[in-house]
Amino acid sequence: MENKLYVVSAYTENQVGLLGVIANIFTRRNLNIETLQVFPSEFEGIHRFTIKTRTTQDQINRVLMQIEKKVDVIKAFSYVDDEVLMLEHAQVGAFLAAREAEYESDK
Amino acid sequence: MITGSEILLDSFIAEGVDTIFGYPGGQIMPVYDKLVDYTDRLRHILVRHEQGAIHAAQGYARVSGRPGVVMVTSGPGATNVITGIADAMADSTPVIVVAAQVSTALLGTDAFQETDFIGLTTPITKWCYQIRRPEDVAWAVARAFHIATTGRPGPIVLDLTRDAQVGIAEAGHKKCDFIRSYVPRPKPSAENIVKAAEMINAAEKPFVVYGQGVILSGAEKELAEFLNKGCIPAGTTLLGLSALPSNFPHFKGMVGMHGNIATNVLTQECDLLISVGMRFDDRVTGKTSTYASQAKVIHIDIDASEIGKNVPVDLGIVGDAKDVLTQLLPLVQKRDRSEWETTADMYGDLEKHKVIEPEVFPESGRIKMGEVVNKVAEVSGGKAVIVTDVGQNQMIGARYSRFAQSRSMITSGGLGTMGFGLPAAFGAKVGAPERTVCLFVGDGGIQMTIQELGTVMQEHTGIKIILLNNNWLGNVRMWQELFFDQRYSSTRMLNPEYSFIASAYGLKYRFVEQREELDDAVREMLFDDSAFLLEVHVEEMGMVFPMVPPGKSVNEIMLNGTDWFEYGE
Repeated sequence: MENKLYVVSAYTENQVGLLGVIANIFTRRNLNIETLQVFPSEFEGIHRFTIKTRTTQDQINRVLMQIEKKVDVIKAFSYVDDEVLMLEHAQVGAFLAAREAEYESDK
Repeated sequence: MITGSEILLDSFIAEGVDTIFGYPGGQIMPVYDKLVDYTDRLRHILVRHEQGAIHAAQGYARVSGRPGVVMVTSGPGATNVITGIADAMADSTPVIVVAAQVSTALLGTDAFQETDFIGLTTPITKWCYQIRRPEDVAWAVARAFHIATTGRPGPIVLDLTRDAQVGIAEAGHKKCDFIRSYVPRPKPSAENIVKAAEMINAAEKPFVVYGQGVILSGAEKELAEFLNKGCIPAGTTLLGLSALPSNFPHFKGMVGMHGNIATNVLTQECDLLISVGMRFDDRVTGKTSTYASQAKVIHIDIDASEIGKNVPVDLGIVGDAKDVLTQLLPLVQKRDRSEWETTADMYGDLEKHKVIEPEVFPESGRIKMGEVVNKVAEVSGGKAVIVTDVGQNQMIGARYSRFAQSRSMITSGGLGTMGFGLPAAFGAKVGAPERTVCLFVGDGGIQMTIQELGTVMQEHTGIKIILLNNNWLGNVRMWQELFFDQRYSSTRMLNPEYSFIASAYGLKYRFVEQREELDDAVREMLFDDSAFLLEVHVEEMGMVFPMVPPGKSVNEIMLNGTDWFEYGE
C-alpha cells in the first residue's frame, strides 16, 4: 500500500498530558511526526491538534481509531495532504514568482 | 470540611467498594491513618508485595464484575503494580489503582520515593490522573469508576499527591455518568444490524467466535439464544471461556494456538465468521493472511479501534455485545444447519481419539497434567472458579476444565503474566467467597508470587492450589524441544520442598505421584473450605497438544510431536 502524507486533525479536551498520549500513538507504530500543532479550536475550551505523518491509509485509519479511543479526545479526522500541499505549493510558488518579477521590473 | 484522605474513602464507599487490596508506605500514610476509622465499612487486605495486590484486584473484578481497588504508596509501591496494570489493560479488567505521590512542591525534584507514575502508566491505562488538590479527589474517583467500568473496561491510575491527602475540602461524592468526549456504549448502527442479519441468513456454514466481551456485557443468554435460533456452531477465545456452559450443544471448544481442532478447522471452512466481543489476538488467528480468508467476516465489538485492526472485516458493528445480539435476534431466521454442525463433531471425535484420551486417561507412565485438570473438573462437578497461572498449566487448565456458569475462568490472556495465578485466585475467592476456587499453577509461576501465601494465611482464604510440578519451566521447555533443537536453555528448575512451605504458611498439603492416589487427593482437597496445596508430580517432559505452531494457519495443527492434522482422517 502506498505511503502518503496525511494530516490528522483531533479535537480534544484541554487536559494536561494529552500531547504525550497522542504523540505516543504515533511513536508506538514507528510513525515519524512531520509537523505538529496544538492550539485552541474555534469551539470554546476545546483544543485542536494537527499532525502530519507519512504512512498508509490502513495505518492512518488505525491511528485515528486509537486517538478517538482516548477518553479526553472528542473527534479525530484525517486528510490526504497532497491536495493541501499542492495548493500551498502553488500559492507559495506564485508568490515567489510574483516577487521575482517585481524585482526584475524594478531593476 | 474533611481531609482529602477521608474524601477518598467516602468516595470508595459511595461507589460501592467493600474491599481494598493494598500495602502502606511513606506517602500513603495519611490515607492509611484515616482507614482505621473505616474498618467497619472497608475491608483492607494487606498483601505481601504490591504485585499481589493488583493481581488479587484483577481476580476479584473478573469473578464479581465489580471493579477491583488497589492502594499503594509512591515510588517502588507504585512501580510494583505496573505489571498488573498492563495485564488489566490487555484483558479489559476494571481496576482502580490509587498510588500515593510526593507533595506537589517536591514534584519533579527527584524526591525520595518519587516516580513519574503518570508518565509510566499513561500507555497502559484507560485513564490516569494526578490529583493535586483535595477538592479534586471526589471528582477524580467518580470519573475513575465511570471510566473503569463502562465501555471496554480497563485500569485507571490515580496519582494522589500528599497535598491532596492532607488538605481540606468540602465533603460529598457525586457519581459521574457523563463525559462529553467519551462514548462508552455506542449505539449499534441499525443499518449494519440489518446487513448482518442478511449475511447470517444467507450463510450456509456460519461460525461464531466469541470472547470476553460476551461476559463483560452480560450477553451470555443472548448469545445462547442466537446460536440456538440459527443453529450455529461456536468457539470461544481463552478469555471467553465459561460464557457458555461446556455442555451447551452449539459450543465446540476453544480457538487458537492450543484450541480445539474443530473450532480452528471450522474457522477455515465456514462461509461466514461472526466474531462477538473479541479482538483477533495473534494467538487466536495464527497467520492472519490465511485466517478465515475464504469467509466473509462480521466483527462485533464495543471498541471501534478493534474493527479491522488485525483482520480485515466485511462488516463491523461497533456496540455492546448484548445490545447487538438483542437487536440481531428477531432478524435472524430459525434455521437447521445441523449437517454443517456435525462436521465440528467429526473433528471433535478425531481430537478425542488422537489427543484428549491419551492426555486424560493414560494407562501408564507419570501422571499427566490433563489427568489432574480433568479429575478436578470431575470431582467439583465443573462448578468451581478456575484460575490459572501462565504456561502449560494455563493451556491444559483451559482445555480440560468444565464450566457450568459464567465468570468461572480467570487467567492472564493478553499479557501472559507468570505469577498472576496465586494472587488472582486469592482475589477471586474474596470476590466470590461462596464458590470453590481452584488454581492450576506450575512450579515456575508459583514461585514468582509465592509470598502471597502469607496473605492467604492471614485472611483465612480457602483457595485450592493445584501445583503441577514438572521441575521445568514447562512451556518454554516445550518450545525449546519443538523449535530450538532441544537446547534446554535455563528452563530446568530446582524446586524447594513444598511441604515445608505449606506447613510454614499453615496450609493443608498433600503430595501425589501415583495415579491411584489422585482421585482420593482431589476429593480430600475439595472436601472442605480450607486453603489446600495439592502438589502433583506430573510427567516432566509433558507437552500441550494440539498446537498451531507460530506463523502457521489455524488449520495446520500438530496432534503430537510427529503427526499433523489431515483432512479426511
